[in-house]
Amino acid sequence: MTRFMEQPLGWGNFLVFAASAVALLAVVLFAVVYLIYFERKFIGWMQYRVGPNRVGPFGLLQTVADVAKLLLKEDIIPKRADRDLYILAPVLAYFPSFTVLAVIPYSEEIYFTNLNAGVLYYIAVSGLTIIGVVIAGWASNNSYSLLGAMRSGAQMISYEIPLVMSILGTVLISGSMNIRTIVLEQDGWFWNWNIFPQFIGFLVFVVAAVAELARTPFDLPEAENELVAGYHVEYTGFRFAFFMLTEYVYMIAMSGLATAIFLGGWHAPAPFLDFIPGLVWFLIKWAFCVFFLYWVRATMPRVRIDQLMTFGWKYLIPLSLVNIFLTAIFMEIVR
Amino acid sequence: MKGLVKGLGVSLKTLVSKKVTYRYPDEPLKMPDRFRGIQHFDPEKCIVCNQCARICPTACITLTGKRNPDPESKQKLVIDTYDINFELCILCDLCTEVCPTEAIVMTNNFELAAYSRDELFKDMAWLAANNTNVRKENHPVKTAAKAAGGGA
Repeated sequence: MTRFMEQPLGWGNFLVFAASAVALLAVVLFAVVYLIYFERKFIGWMQYRVGPNRVGPFGLLQTVADVAKLLLKEDIIPKRADRDLYILAPVLAYFPSFTVLAVIPYSEEIYFTNLNAGVLYYIAVSGLTIIGVVIAGWASNNSYSLLGAMRSGAQMISYEIPLVMSILGTVLISGSMNIRTIVLEQDGWFWNWNIFPQFIGFLVFVVAAVAELARTPFDLPEAENELVAGYHVEYTGFRFAFFMLTEYVYMIAMSGLATAIFLGGWHAPAPFLDFIPGLVWFLIKWAFCVFFLYWVRATMPRVRIDQLMTFGWKYLIPLSLVNIFLTAIFMEIVR
Repeated sequence: MKGLVKGLGVSLKTLVSKKVTYRYPDEPLKMPDRFRGIQHFDPEKCIVCNQCARICPTACITLTGKRNPDPESKQKLVIDTYDINFELCILCDLCTEVCPTEAIVMTNNFELAAYSRDELFKDMAWLAANNTNVRKENHPVKTAAKAAGGGA
């Protein structure tokens, strides 16, 4: 990819870039189908039951059947809903989730862009989803929907701050906001990975990421039994599938970010294991991050909205500030 | 905080433990012996006393008898037709309890789903042929009394 990016932009280059974007979209859609399948299987196994196992061998075609069902459903737009915003909201919610995949380096040669402000780009673009969510709640012309959207917007905004500040510690260590540089600074043995010097930052990141993704235990915005499915209650069929797709693509993106920034990206735990390609190591670590999200979902109950906001503003933000100060002091003393 | 970590450990342990899901319908579901399933009828034993049709709460049993063709035997009537309408039968077991000869007994079979209501009207031939998984204990009250009487 470096080769193509260093040449001046011509038709050949453009075709390579466009084809690789389409390939990424295809891979992401396939991955989402099997992420949903494995979530249902793992959560089932953790609850003493088997997950889906009847549709196709071992239930592998279950998500395909679900997606087909959603596509064939009737497209209902409520009569008094704001029609243009109603149609725009799922699109606004989904496109940032796919766009942030551009800055995550998957291996030494497989990356899509080499932005010097990669971290900034990730946080800024992922904030655009919140606009889509709030518009969905407003345009549905439904009080519960609006309430869910307000709560969801408040939660996502509140937890973006500790998310950014926890990453700032690694930016200070690596000296750059370029995610590829952050990964390159973690080469060598596994104790060079950023999770060890930045363990406070990593803990804050984990909690803030789970809250940002609106997953259990912070999934009040879309609690099926509490808020009647929250901001996407009036959406049916393919539009609802878009919101689900957004959530799962964000899981992919956040796990990819955690792998790149804290777990050493494509580096092997020990240099003598270099013969295994970097992409495989990236996928193993990414898969563990996704499994951790499923594990937490199967284990913990939901927190209340006021407990959630208190925790984010009064505990996580001061903790991440302390982490930044400690890192800055340490960098001054050591350097 | 410690509770959260312990909770994560618990769910990790259940990940690898034995699951409680039954593998029905790939594996047959084994019912206890006293399970009240679809009836089995033995025409040889029936003396056409009509008690089962009288006691049935939903009136799903219809039967007719005919004069016994065998002049030597003590039995006056033999069974001619015997139908149970399974749209009405609630598998309550009263017909079995009241039958003096145990001609009608229950089995442990329960799979009777069909695509048409006509198939739920079972005649004597079908009920006679339904002789798998027959219940061993058919009169629990009598059996218990006999055991108590025999013991005492």
